[in-house]
Amino acid sequence: MKTIRIGGGQGFWGDINDAAIHMVKKGDLQYLACDYLAELTLSIMQRQRQRNPEKGFAQDFIAMLREILPVCMEKNIKVLSNAGGMNVAGAVDEARKLADTLNIKKLKIGYILGDDLLDKLADLQAQGITMKNLDDGRDLSEIRDKIVNANVYFGHEPIVDCLDMGANVVITGRATDSSLFLAPLAYEFGWKPQEWDKLARGIIVGHLLECGGQGSGGNFDYDWRSVPALDDLGYPIAEVGENGGIVVTKAPDCGGLVSEQTCKEQLLYEIHDPANYITPDVVADISQARLTGAGKDRVRLDGVCGKPRPDMLKLCIGYLAGYKIEGYLPFAWPDALDKAQCAADIILKRLARKGLKAEEVRVDFLGVNALHGPLAGEPACKPNEVVLRIALRTRDKKEAAKLAPEIAPLQLNGPPGSCFFGGRPKVSEMIALWPTLVPRDAVKLTPSVLEVK
Amino acid sequence: MAKYLLKDVAHARSGDKGNISNICLYARDPKDYELLRRQVTAERVKEHFRGVVLGEVTRYELPTLGGFNFVLKEALGGGATQSIRLDTLGKTMASALLRMKIEKEEASR
Repeated sequence: MKTIRIGGGQGFWGDINDAAIHMVKKGDLQYLACDYLAELTLSIMQRQRQRNPEKGFAQDFIAMLREILPVCMEKNIKVLSNAGGMNVAGAVDEARKLADTLNIKKLKIGYILGDDLLDKLADLQAQGITMKNLDDGRDLSEIRDKIVNANVYFGHEPIVDCLDMGANVVITGRATDSSLFLAPLAYEFGWKPQEWDKLARGIIVGHLLECGGQGSGGNFDYDWRSVPALDDLGYPIAEVGENGGIVVTKAPDCGGLVSEQTCKEQLLYEIHDPANYITPDVVADISQARLTGAGKDRVRLDGVCGKPRPDMLKLCIGYLAGYKIEGYLPFAWPDALDKAQCAADIILKRLARKGLKAEEVRVDFLGVNALHGPLAGEPACKPNEVVLRIALRTRDKKEAAKLAPEIAPLQLNGPPGSCFFGGRPKVSEMIALWPTLVPRDAVKLTPSVLEVK
Repeated sequence: MAKYLLKDVAHARSGDKGNISNICLYARDPKDYELLRRQVTAERVKEHFRGVVLGEVTRYELPTLGGFNFVLKEALGGGATQSIRLDTLGKTMASALLRMKIEKEEASR
């Protein structure tokens, strides 16, 4: 029976490329899929593109291609990625230039345009599509002049179209993470749009692989000490059969671990209702899923089913919602926590005197409660050192900036034994997300292929 | 009744979507699934995260996997984009849950 091996080469924009490079060489792959987009990534990329029209995509992907493309062409491994972000055309152009530099011929670069709806919002509203906030029902007019980007999440079909046109590399914008993995399976096995169980299995393959190392021993709570060679972590690979039989594994000659427990921890990651995992391709149901060990670093997944896909697509609109700033000041033993608390009081008094108008002020003590907050309780013993962290959220940039000059002087003016850490605080923009829905037929996605001869 | 911390009998991972945190929780020993089902209820989790999680807590049971998925609303100070928490994505929500105290009649570990 035909099986396809797909590797998950990237967990997020900013991940390292080593595991992808290794699995292309030693993972016996037919496909490598790389997810670069988290919820906020497109807004950040849009800001980059506004400053420099040649940016706005994951340039790390081009760096990865430089390493893997010759091997991928030789072994006929196809590469799929949503690295195009807010500038798919720019990413395609960089990939084309790279192929020229590497003297790679007969490369077909597939790409998909149409998920960027920023210029179409008025048209959509004119068609009666309100785009009210999915969470709280607010009207889009509230943020109309603050919108940064608007991208619709799309599924596997246009990616399959690119593969049908012979693409060796496919670059997209906001394709869902998991559709990058479903697409090659649907293409290879001829899965049809209504074969919900098979589509769901493809989506869950993607779900297990889209976070890279987190699917093969990274961030492993069950027994992190037992994971071999985290310094050389291999990322997960899925072996999928025609009917959607799934085995998760990894490449040989690298670190990491694939066990029932590593797969369990990833299977529910960022899932809400396990019986209704909604994607543009299918509503996947993992509520009856079973994981079974099938040899060293091999785990079988069964029991995944699918239900019909939703009629509406998720549109995520990023908008400017204010500013934030955070500053840090460490204190040494003795009485480190008392001193850090005293420094916090000084800063808060001085900010009040400056008439600070903030939406939220937050004081944390790293080493004591910065991660677990009130759940942390009192420290079991007096800490050797404590870092004060103070953070503000404001509407006005000038308000946030009031914190910037207040930290460093406390080395001379505050309690004894502190040192400067992390540089002078900088104000950063706060982009919020406006989740909403648009009808599927209001979105026109266009798959194309560029051939590098 | 012996007192334990949840971390001694369970393992967990947390993730985020907007201002919602999800925590999956699994029994380390499959025999403890029922104990977790009885003691780590949505109500107790909501109470455990008092002052941190402002919205409702939903628990989904996954007997075939020996675990649960908890969905915690209004849990991340506005979510990745707006939160001024140090841990904007709630990666440490899982370990915070594992601080919960539980009782065991007989130790399987």
